[in-house]
Amino acid sequence: MFTIIQTNLRRRLARTLFTASGIAVGVATIVALLSFTQGLKDTAAGFVHLGGSDLGVFQANVSDPTASILPESLVARLDATPEVSRATPLLLVTEALKADPSAIVFGAQPSGFFSQGLVLLRGARPQGQEVLIGDRLAASLHLRPGGVLRVDGHPFGIAGIYHSGVLFEDSGAVLSIEDARTLTSRPGEVTDIVVELAAGTRASSAARKIERSFPGTQVITDPDQALRAGANSTLISKAILVIVVIALIVGAISVANTMAMSILERQGELGLLSTVGWSPVRVASLILGEGVAVSTLGAAGGLLLGVIGGGLLVHALGVSAYVSPAITAWGLGRGLLVGVAIGVLGGIYPAWRVTRMTPLRALSNA
Amino acid sequence: MSEEAGAEVLVEHAGKSFGRIGALDDVSLHMDRGEAIAITGRSGSGKSTLLGLIGGLERPDRGKVLIDGRPVWLDRHPAQARRELVGFVFQRHLLLAALSARANVEVPLIGAGVHRAERRRRALALLEEVGLADRAEHLPSELSGGESQRVAVARALVNEPRLLLADEPTGALDSVTSERVLDLLFRLRDRLGMTLAVVSYDPDVAKRADRTLTLIDGRIGDTGEAGIAQA
Repeated sequence: MFTIIQTNLRRRLARTLFTASGIAVGVATIVALLSFTQGLKDTAAGFVHLGGSDLGVFQANVSDPTASILPESLVARLDATPEVSRATPLLLVTEALKADPSAIVFGAQPSGFFSQGLVLLRGARPQGQEVLIGDRLAASLHLRPGGVLRVDGHPFGIAGIYHSGVLFEDSGAVLSIEDARTLTSRPGEVTDIVVELAAGTRASSAARKIERSFPGTQVITDPDQALRAGANSTLISKAILVIVVIALIVGAISVANTMAMSILERQGELGLLSTVGWSPVRVASLILGEGVAVSTLGAAGGLLLGVIGGGLLVHALGVSAYVSPAITAWGLGRGLLVGVAIGVLGGIYPAWRVTRMTPLRALSNA
Repeated sequence: MSEEAGAEVLVEHAGKSFGRIGALDDVSLHMDRGEAIAITGRSGSGKSTLLGLIGGLERPDRGKVLIDGRPVWLDRHPAQARRELVGFVFQRHLLLAALSARANVEVPLIGAGVHRAERRRRALALLEEVGLADRAEHLPSELSGGESQRVAVARALVNEPRLLLADEPTGALDSVTSERVLDLLFRLRDRLGMTLAVVSYDPDVAKRADRTLTLIDGRIGDTGEAGIAQA
């Protein structure tokens, strides 16, 4: 049986490759989008734990967390809350670097735990109108200490290069919150306040208390919450889901159509197998086996394509500072499962048709 | 195989229509074990349909078909009956183009779940029997029409059938090759003792058969003894 499956697929090499390619594209789309979604989640996780914080306090009901606006006075009030160990404000400046519009510039208090937690790789802490830059940004723009970074058109001397381990931070730059306010013309305002909790405090209970005590705020403690909090992120997640479903449907219909055509062309051959005593189940197994073999081939190619395509996608969209596609075993497994399922589903109808056909009729169509 | 190895065939008042077109009407036929009959008739007279009913390739609308007293369609799946009892040879050899002659002969054994080594042994033995041992690994495209038909005969015999049904087996062959294929069919029938039914226009088939059956418009028109060809 396996020999016949292998031989049939080899004999119709062009059809096999085209069918496998169709499945590969579908699987690649799924893998790339799933890795994109996972990357989005990882990015959101980084956004939640900026500066190694336990949670972030944002304005409630904003379309995107980066669009949040909170009064700076809230920092002291949060600091006074028993559940909070330390709180420090951040003012996010987006699209401020012409060379890399996706990079985020963080305005932070030099004495706050956000700035203090950055690991300096080269250079020194900033003095006056200077900036620290993340190692990923330094590498992508070929910057080094002593150079100049233009933020919103204003020149800042590069004092040093840091690494934090958070994609957002390492792809961006940090300057003083006063400089950030000057650039954005937002006196007395911050984007969010990052919080370290007192020892033994649970993030969820602290979040509830903060939201009750300070109406108009939302506290984000986990990546899923971060994704849900931003309307844009939610939109992206939903759009990805829709695209994945469409890819699945198109892939399944395409494979079913190709396999049905293949079966119609091979009625004589299948009629012969039935004539010489192959049971309908065995003939159907042959067809399904071919479907599974083609889809496995396509799925394997699709996994490879998806891994490469995922990386290319974020670069093409210019969102590499926000999202780094994260390939997980579960993501690859889902892609593989979907690919094989497409082959099985696509083969069921033609297999069923064959079992309904009498051998004599099939032979007369040969 | 002895003459007892042949199957007894009984067709009782069988009828078959395809849509509104009647192909067979009230056909009854008895074939003794090891008997060889020639089935003749004009095109569209129902010869192939009768062979299809006997071999379980089509289900009769009316009447019944029994092989060794057992209905082909009622007490087991016809695929099983075909696998265990019947071998088929058609006008076209219907060999699978991508498989070698040996692999083509093995195909029915794959359906029967026979182990690979045993399949190979039986296929090679039969190819030797039909004089194609040296062509075992050749593809159908590398064989002549007569050679391909001999491979088809080997394929029909590989399950050791008790009933061999041949539908115009020489229809696509020249006269010399036809004679060789007929020699092969009747020699194997004599040696293995199987029951044989051959649909053919060829008068030579009627001469070789024990009996001739002529179909006219889906009904049995005439029968004759060996050597008497029916028009």
